[in-house]
Amino acid sequence: MASVASTTTAAPRSSRNPFHWITENTLAGMERRKALLGYLFLSPTILGILVFTAGPVIFSLVLSLFRWNVFSPPEFIGLANFDRFFHDSRALMSFWTSFVFVVFAVSLQLVVGMLLALVIQSRMVTWMRYTYRTAFFLPMLMSGAATAIVLSYMLHKEFGAVNYYLGLLGVPPIPWLSQPGWAMASIVISYLWLSMGFTMILFIGGLTGISTEVLDAADVDGAQGLTRFWNITLPMVSPTLLFAAVTGVIGGLQVFDLPYIMTYGGPGDSTRTAVMVMYEAAFKNMEIGYGSTIAVVLFVIILGVTAGQFGVGKRLVFYQ
Amino acid sequence: MISKQSTGISRREFLQWTGIGAATLAVAACAPAAPGAAVGGGAAAPAQGKIVLRMQVDPKQEQPVVDLYKQSHPDVDFDFVSVSGTDHEDIAAKILTLVASGQALDLGYAATEATQLYAGQKLSAPIDEYVKRDAADLKEYFTDVHPSLIQAMMFEGSLYQLPIDFNAANMYFNTAVLKEAGMETPKTDWTKDDFYNVAKAATKKDASGKTETYGYAWTNRLWGSWMPWIFVNGSNLLTEAEAPGGEWLWTDFYAGDKAAEGRGGGYRWLAPQANAAANVEALDFMVQLYKEGITPSIELGGGQTLQGFFTAGKLAMTPAGGFWAGGLANAGMPDGSFDVQLFPKWVNQRHQFGTAGQWLFDQGKNKDAAWDYMKFRISKDAMMINGMFNPVTLTTPTRRSMLTEERFAETGPANWQVFYSTLDDHPDTAPIPAPPVSNAMTQLFVNYTSRAMNEELAPQAALDGLQKELEDLYARNPDMYKKAN
Amino acid sequence: MQSINAETLHPQRSLGQQFSDFVRYRLGRWIVLAITTIFAIIVVAPFAWTVSTSMRLPMESFSVPPQWIVLNPDWSNYTEVFNQVPFLQEILNSFYVTIAIVIGQLCTASLAGYAFARLEFPGRNLLFWLIMATMMIPLQATIIPVFVLISRMGLANTLMSLILPALPTAFGTFLMRQYFMGVPKDFEEAATIDGANQIQIFARVYLPLVAPGLAVLAVLTFNAHWNEFFRPLIFLNDPSLFTIPLGLATLKGYMMTGSISVVLAAVTMSLIPVLIVYIFGQRYLIEGLMMGGVKG
Repeated sequence: MASVASTTTAAPRSSRNPFHWITENTLAGMERRKALLGYLFLSPTILGILVFTAGPVIFSLVLSLFRWNVFSPPEFIGLANFDRFFHDSRALMSFWTSFVFVVFAVSLQLVVGMLLALVIQSRMVTWMRYTYRTAFFLPMLMSGAATAIVLSYMLHKEFGAVNYYLGLLGVPPIPWLSQPGWAMASIVISYLWLSMGFTMILFIGGLTGISTEVLDAADVDGAQGLTRFWNITLPMVSPTLLFAAVTGVIGGLQVFDLPYIMTYGGPGDSTRTAVMVMYEAAFKNMEIGYGSTIAVVLFVIILGVTAGQFGVGKRLVFYQ
Repeated sequence: MISKQSTGISRREFLQWTGIGAATLAVAACAPAAPGAAVGGGAAAPAQGKIVLRMQVDPKQEQPVVDLYKQSHPDVDFDFVSVSGTDHEDIAAKILTLVASGQALDLGYAATEATQLYAGQKLSAPIDEYVKRDAADLKEYFTDVHPSLIQAMMFEGSLYQLPIDFNAANMYFNTAVLKEAGMETPKTDWTKDDFYNVAKAATKKDASGKTETYGYAWTNRLWGSWMPWIFVNGSNLLTEAEAPGGEWLWTDFYAGDKAAEGRGGGYRWLAPQANAAANVEALDFMVQLYKEGITPSIELGGGQTLQGFFTAGKLAMTPAGGFWAGGLANAGMPDGSFDVQLFPKWVNQRHQFGTAGQWLFDQGKNKDAAWDYMKFRISKDAMMINGMFNPVTLTTPTRRSMLTEERFAETGPANWQVFYSTLDDHPDTAPIPAPPVSNAMTQLFVNYTSRAMNEELAPQAALDGLQKELEDLYARNPDMYKKAN
Repeated sequence: MQSINAETLHPQRSLGQQFSDFVRYRLGRWIVLAITTIFAIIVVAPFAWTVSTSMRLPMESFSVPPQWIVLNPDWSNYTEVFNQVPFLQEILNSFYVTIAIVIGQLCTASLAGYAFARLEFPGRNLLFWLIMATMMIPLQATIIPVFVLISRMGLANTLMSLILPALPTAFGTFLMRQYFMGVPKDFEEAATIDGANQIQIFARVYLPLVAPGLAVLAVLTFNAHWNEFFRPLIFLNDPSLFTIPLGLATLKGYMMTGSISVVLAAVTMSLIPVLIVYIFGQRYLIEGLMMGGVKG
């Protein structure tokens, strides 16, 4: 790229170099250079996404208009899949289940993550900070499948460790995995356990980035505790909050391994999420077209929710 | 792309169109001409004259068999498509993806749950011609295998698989727990009432009424959940019928065998009867055991937590098959700490089983070579070194002659004879219901079972609900048993 | 968290006021720490259970009350892991794939995140939304076409089939964009005045300032791909290419006949590399965070 420092005046037309529109030393030229750089920087990501994600996504979208069971050729059926979907109470129910799950899981993620980050960032001995941080991040290292296995043992109503200790406190055995409401709670708690390290780390990063000058200024002005948090800290970490919320929702709506292995959608249909229904339609019932339909609906919903979150973010998020 | 005459598009065209449309740049330079061609993935092209068989197997278990085979067939190479150890769902996902992308396999491995599915979709090829051609080689195999296992691998008059392993739901006991309850291992003709007494006696509760040791537990799935109780109550989840045809097999190989009398061309499960009175009765019984604290809350899954509690002495009885002989040994239970018996008798003592074997891909390129290997694999020598049965018995071999004292000497159970007497002494023993839509059917079954067991619905209401949904499922798939013809 | 303001520094605070200070600042602090400690113990408990079960036979692992400390550790489960699956090879495969993906993603995400945050070009918003949108389709829905693509590229059953599609990252782009947007524009203006060109601004000014973001991305990406199951299941056939999660599935066995202690032994072992990465990443994270906090 041409350097900014050249100070020659525009040469006569006949001897202008062919790339003048990006090398010329004007404001417009600089903007074009910036734009070109932008495209260049983006190219690996865009290319990769086009090839490996956009294409398959389009394939999925198109497939929702077909009936295909893999062994015979696909059969075009137009919007029949969608019609079926909107009359399929189990599929519709699963979206509600996903919604409930995400509302609880993400809210808890944000709250717990923030609280932990606040505690860990406060003044304390370094080794304590390290220990806490490691302890809370540890669950992230487990895979969804391993977590499901381990926690289903620990949450077993009769023989699990959790009910044993609760029993010592006088709590009657909780049917963690065998009653509908509790099963949902188990999934939420397990997912929270698994993922709170993520939000915690994000918020630690965000909190540390808050300039100390701002905090000192606040102190001098007499702001303490809750006021300080609400009026200073929170706005300063709002970009991080937005990020955590958006990715939390997107991830939460797509989580698969953990609930699938832990409760398999049960008892009944109480923990059957939208992704599970999609997976079962495609891979168990061999209705790939119908599975794609569910994926499309899910996609649209995620898109809408994310757009909504960004919209809210525009109003509430404070960028420097 | 969409032809004007019909709405069908060949799979290849479809994939080709989308594939090209989405990835012109990257793919154009390096893609081969047509999908499905020569995309063996990583393997070098076979040398001249070599046949490469692509098999869906567990490599560790299969390797000894393959090695033995190669000694006499040096010109055959094997490509393993490994889906080892994962559950049915994962296997299905992988196979489906492979097929969807146009990759040819030669040999697959499937259990009852998928037999009719693959056969009905013409994914697997009937092996009738091969069997007839090589009848002399196979006579010995058929005498060693009970006809009910063979019939389970038939569909609409043709044979599709040669069963190599099976598991019937017998009753396993933790002998220590029984002893403490003052009970002995029951006899072969024990009844439902005997069972109830044993379960009740073995259940130990503490001062507050909370159960510490359970008499009976089971896992919610298709095979071996409360399905055995449906069977011994003389019923089934779906109506049973016999497909026509298949005489050639019975006359050629089972002439004079009483157990083969009246057998036809495979099972047909034509209609749901989920809420038959006998089924409701069986489910009622299960719920009653739960309410009395004899059975713990039923969780879903493959039975791993159940196994854990059984091994820890917290559970007296549970239905399981030959696979637990190896499974419990792996979990550290010494010989003598567990035993097995036939399922108790109610209206009759009809057991349910699942069985599995290799199947031939209809679109495979090396059918002859694949058949040859399939034949080899069920030979006694091959079965004896197969990792499934060796060194521990991870699943029950279909060959009667392989069930010997020696096999179970180290691991137990002492009563190992029941594994095969389940078939020999009770020829009405049948496979779990597994029509071509068995996946969807299983889901519904498991779903309503859990709702009954956690008391969300009364058994009658649960089974009524199940019946309705099964009827809908069947209505969506009217051609299950006509497709193959 | 003691607030230093005019009031508390006053030397003449009465006993009563000092007591209320104590309650507000010290006692509150201790209670918070106590709760956090209890919470930390609860969070770590499943790990303790995993590790102790892996050192026993399954038979001994389900007694009530649960035994956390194993008096006579039985290491046979660990050796059994290596007997049943080529675990060492699987560890190496997992490392190779995961590290390649992390490095690749750090590159693509920082470039793309910067472009979206600080460079202007037509279609910027649209492209950003397009990329974000791709995060919103679940993996299972696109696995078949991706597999078809991979096969046609001749990459089926290779480790590259896992790496290549994972190099572009919508999540990473989004993350880095947020971090880049958090850097005050003053830095850029100062650098431009000093005569730096665009690339220098990116590499010398911005990149160091978003180091915490890079560290976070690295740790998260490593984690996610180390534990990935579905793509390796579908893309890989050859057991010598298997990654750790596939090995775990193998250990579980058909119909769950595998011993849970062996499975958990493998889980424990698979945690160690990730833990090490985290511990190292943590140190760098600290430095990066401290760097980010220092304003000139």
